[in-house]
Amino acid sequence: MSSLSIRDVHKAYGPTEVLKGIDIDIDSGDFLVLVGPSGCGKSTLLNMIAGLDSITSGEIRIEDKVVNDTHPSERDIAMVFQSYALYPNMNVEKNISFGLEMRRMPRKQRRERVAEVAQMLQIEPLLKRKPSQLSGGQRQRVAMGRALVREPKIFLFDEPLSNLDAKLRVDMRTEIKKLHQRLGSTIVYVTHDQIEAMTLATKIAIMKGGVLQQLGTPAELYNQPANMFVAGFMGSPSMNLIPAELVASDGEPAVRMVRKDESSMLLPVGDNPAYRDWIGKPVILGLRPETITDVGSAEQDSPLLFQGECLIDVTEPTGADVFAIIELNGREVVGRMRASCGAKVGEKLSVVFNMRHAVLFDPQTEGRIG
Amino acid sequence: MSDTTRTSGDWLRQNLPRLVLSPSFAITLFFVYGFILYTAWISMTRSRMLPKLDSFVGFENYGKLWKTLNWQIALDNLAIFGTLYILICGVLGLLLAILLDQKIRAEGFLRTIYLYPMALSFIVTGTAWKWFLNPGLGLEKSMHEWGFHSFSFDWLINPKMAIYTVVIAGVWQTSGFVMAMFLAGLRGIDNEQLKAAQLDGASAFQTYRRIIIPQLRAVFLSAFVVLAHMAIKSYDLVVALTGGGPGNATEVPATFMYSYTFTRNQMGVGAASAMVMLMTIAAIIVPYLYAETREKRHG
Ligand SMILES: Nc1ncnc2c1ncn2[C@@H]1O[C@H](COP(=O)(O)OP(=O)(O)OP(=O)(O)O)[C@@H](O)[C@H]1O
Ligand SMILES: [Mg+2]
Repeated sequence: MSSLSIRDVHKAYGPTEVLKGIDIDIDSGDFLVLVGPSGCGKSTLLNMIAGLDSITSGEIRIEDKVVNDTHPSERDIAMVFQSYALYPNMNVEKNISFGLEMRRMPRKQRRERVAEVAQMLQIEPLLKRKPSQLSGGQRQRVAMGRALVREPKIFLFDEPLSNLDAKLRVDMRTEIKKLHQRLGSTIVYVTHDQIEAMTLATKIAIMKGGVLQQLGTPAELYNQPANMFVAGFMGSPSMNLIPAELVASDGEPAVRMVRKDESSMLLPVGDNPAYRDWIGKPVILGLRPETITDVGSAEQDSPLLFQGECLIDVTEPTGADVFAIIELNGREVVGRMRASCGAKVGEKLSVVFNMRHAVLFDPQTEGRIG
Repeated sequence: MSDTTRTSGDWLRQNLPRLVLSPSFAITLFFVYGFILYTAWISMTRSRMLPKLDSFVGFENYGKLWKTLNWQIALDNLAIFGTLYILICGVLGLLLAILLDQKIRAEGFLRTIYLYPMALSFIVTGTAWKWFLNPGLGLEKSMHEWGFHSFSFDWLINPKMAIYTVVIAGVWQTSGFVMAMFLAGLRGIDNEQLKAAQLDGASAFQTYRRIIIPQLRAVFLSAFVVLAHMAIKSYDLVVALTGGGPGNATEVPATFMYSYTFTRNQMGVGAASAMVMLMTIAAIIVPYLYAETREKRHG
């Protein structure tokens, strides 16, 4: 029931426009992740949902009720801040119950709620401590406790994990995911870590320069990126973007790839009706590293597998996999091989291109074709 | 040959800071701490108009001091002045800081206005307020000229009320400074905490009372120490404003010390009063400095 809808929202600080017409709709129980490079307006949008910042134009609704002019405390939302923003003069228990106290909840009930949340987050032994006596991860839990205890309609998180070390970040990520599954609450979560976005989200909104680039499920964003920015932003290592010419080969659209030894090969990209108009024109081919593999690890049921000998320029072992860099059309292209595939620098390897997941972009508009 | 020049150059480089600091160190040692000891010694001699260093009497002067009526008046006045001065400056400073913190437009201008009195010397403040409060010259006369003939404000010449005029002038001078201290403290509070408080449903008043002001403890302490030692040392303001009068109605320890030491030929008693003041101030400042430096070493 706690859906959130953002309609054509603009935000300007004086003459500088920070948000340029954002449209986002999510359902109750959705986990929306806002991602984008630094300064793209994620925090601004979150603050506007919370009511901490005014809306220049447009409309924000929570459960079909326009909240543009509703005070933050009456929107029934809770927020976890990047700095955690715990009150340093109060102990953990007071920090968690402060919001309930301000809402005039009786003391006994407050105690029960705090105990419940403390148990859920496993911070019971910390209740009497001051925030300055806690580690980063513990502070993070307390900040979450302060949000959870209010049982709000919507949770807002502004980069809640960015101050933690790598290991703790992964642990907390899992816990947040579990929490979402258990409570089924609606969450809006800001991060600029695309792995966090992929693992947590039911929906991702990618922003750049105050403009929404794409809104969709993680799989949609990953497999059908709306434009080259989204394609490059999601996934690590990021998608290979290779300028190429679209040609017809046996009546099917294909891209011409020139290898390092000047020999060329044709890689059919599937028969998408939208591709027909582009035959004979330059396009940008987008290939994820995991679609460029050694023969053994190729996706066998794919209808569009093509093999070719390629010279390996660089290998980057990561343990389980090895990233092999080859050159196509003068660009460095990363492929993901099994560690045991036998790729050696300076030698040729039989490489499989799985063109089922290939995408084409318009070099001018950078939008996806088809 | 070159070896020796290098070593002498090294020696100079290593000891330059000490060389540069040593004159001021020696001067401070002699003129401040040396004279403190000298005064302590005089306070235990039978010195009257001039120091008589060979007439040791132990703590006799201190006993005499506590039996002197004027010293009792000075202490009473200090209690009144000190309490009101510290309280009003603190409260007013905090209120002004909170008002200025509301993102008002002319903040820079207003801050300067409130801070300016601090740039004046207490002598100027005292003289200005003397004119302003003088029934024949300032406020009262102006009010009469404007037609309010029943208006009367004679605190300056009223022995019962004169000490309060010292409070007024002192507060006028210092509350802007206290405001600046509090404002810096307010600005140091994390903005996200204020947002969190807003989401928690705290009103502006509750946010100040429950979250912001408790975090200003260090500022309160600093303000107290600064104001307390200014209150105890206050001399120039009183001299310029009331001269200790009318009669001895606004005598404070500092004016007492001056008049006994230099005009009433009771140098021993005057020195004793100076030592008492020094001890009082030290009792306030030393624990504070100790806490401050210890905190820094830890932090
Ligand atoms: N009060 C303000 N006045 C003027 N410009 C502002 C203000 N607050 C933010 N901005 C600008 O708005 C833009 C978006 O800021 P925002 O904090 O939303 O970025 P962000 O996406 O959260 O970035 P980050 O990932 O670094 O946190 C930035 O370019 C910033 O300079
Ligand atoms: Mg941000």
